[in-house]
Amino acid sequence: MTTTTTTTPARDQTNRLTMTRTGSKMIADYWEDLFVARENGKKIVWYNGGALNPMFQAAGLAWCHGEAFAARLAAQQLEGPAQLAGAEYGYNSELCSYSRTHLGCAVLTVQGSDDPQTGVVGLHDRVDLASKLPSPDFFVNNYAGCSTGQQWDEVSFRIFGKDLPIFNISHPFLWGNKPDAGYLRGEEWDSASQYVRGQLVELIDFMETQTGEPFDYDKLNESMTYIKRAAELRQEGLELCKAKPAPATFWDWIACIAPINFLPGDQALVDYFQGVKDEIQHRVDNGISGIENEKYRLYFDGIMNWNKLGFLSRRFAEHGAAVLAGRYIQNAFWQEPQLIDTSDPLLGMAQHYLLCPTNHGSKTLDYLTLKDTADYDIDGLVFHATRTCRAFTGPQRLLAKSARDNLGVPSIFFEGDVADASFYKDEILESRLVAMLEAIDVARERGDHKVAGSGAEVAWPS
Amino acid sequence: MSEALEAQQRLQAVARDPRAYLEQWRQAHPGGKVIGALPMNFPREIAYAAGVLPVIVQDDQKPVTEGRALLAEFYCGYTRNLADQAATGRFDMYDALFMADHCIQLIGSADIVRAVTPQPVFFGMLISSLSDSWAGAKIAEMMGEFRSELERFSGRTIEDHELRASIVAYNKDRQLLRRIFDDRSAGSAVHSPTQLQDYVVSSMVMDPVEHHRLLEAAVSEPASRDRDARVRVHLSGHLCHAPRRELLEVIEDSGALVVDDDLYTGRRYLSTDVDESLDPLDAIGKWYAQRNVNIPCPTRVQHDADWDEYLVEATRSSGAEAVIHLMPKFCEPHMLFYPELRKSLEAAGIPQLLIETEHEGIPLEAFRTRVEALVELTLRKRPVHV
Repeated sequence: MTTTTTTTPARDQTNRLTMTRTGSKMIADYWEDLFVARENGKKIVWYNGGALNPMFQAAGLAWCHGEAFAARLAAQQLEGPAQLAGAEYGYNSELCSYSRTHLGCAVLTVQGSDDPQTGVVGLHDRVDLASKLPSPDFFVNNYAGCSTGQQWDEVSFRIFGKDLPIFNISHPFLWGNKPDAGYLRGEEWDSASQYVRGQLVELIDFMETQTGEPFDYDKLNESMTYIKRAAELRQEGLELCKAKPAPATFWDWIACIAPINFLPGDQALVDYFQGVKDEIQHRVDNGISGIENEKYRLYFDGIMNWNKLGFLSRRFAEHGAAVLAGRYIQNAFWQEPQLIDTSDPLLGMAQHYLLCPTNHGSKTLDYLTLKDTADYDIDGLVFHATRTCRAFTGPQRLLAKSARDNLGVPSIFFEGDVADASFYKDEILESRLVAMLEAIDVARERGDHKVAGSGAEVAWPS
Repeated sequence: MSEALEAQQRLQAVARDPRAYLEQWRQAHPGGKVIGALPMNFPREIAYAAGVLPVIVQDDQKPVTEGRALLAEFYCGYTRNLADQAATGRFDMYDALFMADHCIQLIGSADIVRAVTPQPVFFGMLISSLSDSWAGAKIAEMMGEFRSELERFSGRTIEDHELRASIVAYNKDRQLLRRIFDDRSAGSAVHSPTQLQDYVVSSMVMDPVEHHRLLEAAVSEPASRDRDARVRVHLSGHLCHAPRRELLEVIEDSGALVVDDDLYTGRRYLSTDVDESLDPLDAIGKWYAQRNVNIPCPTRVQHDADWDEYLVEATRSSGAEAVIHLMPKFCEPHMLFYPELRKSLEAAGIPQLLIETEHEGIPLEAFRTRVEALVELTLRKRPVHV
């Protein structure tokens, strides 16, 4: 919540995708629609975790993804009022800043419910985005990986006086007990997939009760058809970014998260990702890079520091560091579209909810990280030690050691947070980044940079 | 030395040095296997029925050294301590690690254990959303998996009669512990909070039959000590590991008398017995679900189980005049639920104090001042007799 001072990078050397402006407009329109959803006769669901929006879309609901709203507030430097409300209510600043921002919104919503007919909070004070969030008609929790996610919605339910319906989907953590366990395979994966699919069927019953309407399966199939196509285009665009110099960066893809994560599955979504891919293809064809003078190719592990998105993109570009890949991009958000059967999408949806990047044991994460590091020809890893996100940070030290041991790739850690700027220390990132880049230079001169990983084929660990 | 005192000292020694106990146990049980079980709900009965000694891994209170390189400093002290135990070879006293609870920080530390020790680590995730209509079936399914895995690990089949005998042994030990806690909440001040913590922690480490025998001896001599005039407090929190003993001592040294608690190394752990009249595995599943009804835990999601209501009711039962929340730094379920506790206690007019505990560097004197302030505040609420 506290604003920190950061030195501005000397000159903006990024070359961000122009399509992200289109995405920003789509996202802004989505939120504006949500803020007036009740006036437009829609029921509103608050949810967290995996992208249930196609289910809600098919049920004719308006949906608010709690993390997304917290991230939006932080990205716009508007998280303060919600976090202050949360702090006054009693939430400790070490609590997941997504949750305390969103719970702060819940507190504001309850405190401001002086007009229950509209449910729109803070009619007296519309300038604060936090206070515009319409109150929910019910909750759905779909949180994989992080135990806090499930508890967070339970607390939201309690803040609203335990009066609203709530539905929980449980996700087995993909730990890998069995000898056949692996990424997208093994008995554990199969049984977990079926278990979550079964709960989605239960969710449909629950939503039918809430809406009083039969669930529209055709609409779900249609929505998932668009989402699958958008996800395929996203994957194709990511594949193009393996080019040298990279035509777009991790930061461009961060700007594409909101559309793939919670915008409606429709033609506009497909058009957007077609536009992103086309722009990247154009850059590849014309040798246009995502930053000026790409000298280093980096991997970013950690959930996003939304307060600093633009700043960080410029900070890395200033040093000729193209951040190309990261767990939050390559291994999240409908990243395995081939799993989706558009005529019967529930299983593929369930599987994607399980594929949340915090829902794997470190063995799988190690495999995925090494694979992306090799595939994108990464020179160094940057770990965002996300202060209030224990789910993302848990395995980071192991991943850093593995990248060094197996691929000869160095790494640095810097501390920040998803939605609380006070944890970010710019000087620490700057000094550590410079040190790592210098070390890479020296290693290159010596001819031993990435020796261990030269031509590496990353296989599932035995 | 009396038999009671000797037994008390033995329990204290085990609680404060589990390693020494396990070395003795191994000598007495050549070839016997010991598993470390992570809190909070691992069904020890199943392991014990397989002839395995299940030991709940304690925060051994040693400073975190090499573990710092493995787990972020903003993980809770207990999980950082676990990582350190693994990194420095202190997990060598276990043949395997078992875990049943979905806490993301516990998972993070278990991943470290798996990466740096040779011991197998089995995670059987018990469903934590307990209001779901399918929760009972999922719990039963997971208890079955624990049984299979422990059979595989021990190399023997677990017969139902062995499971029943194990249940009886653990029930008997819990019942005796619970009687001591009930006596305290009813007015007895015979046992100090550190003494009770030693009793519970030793029960988490020892063979239940051996523990029960010792505990029976420890409380065998008739003793009575009524509450004195100190302010009666309920200790709440520390959901998965023990608070520092020196903190408990400071609380009682600052004008407060602990009359009840809902700590993991206290009443929370021993709240619930396994129903001996049911199919044994089914009963263990129901035990897990019932624990959260008896003392609700914020690590579970159960819409009609309210820790805040429990806490207010517990203070009425024990006559506690104030509540001290012991919140381990970085414990997210506790941080999330704390405002609900605060609201309910405020509404009930019960004074309260939040103490954020840390693995190292507890500012005891600062805590003393705060406890003294709570005591003063609470004393002012006492009725004045003229």
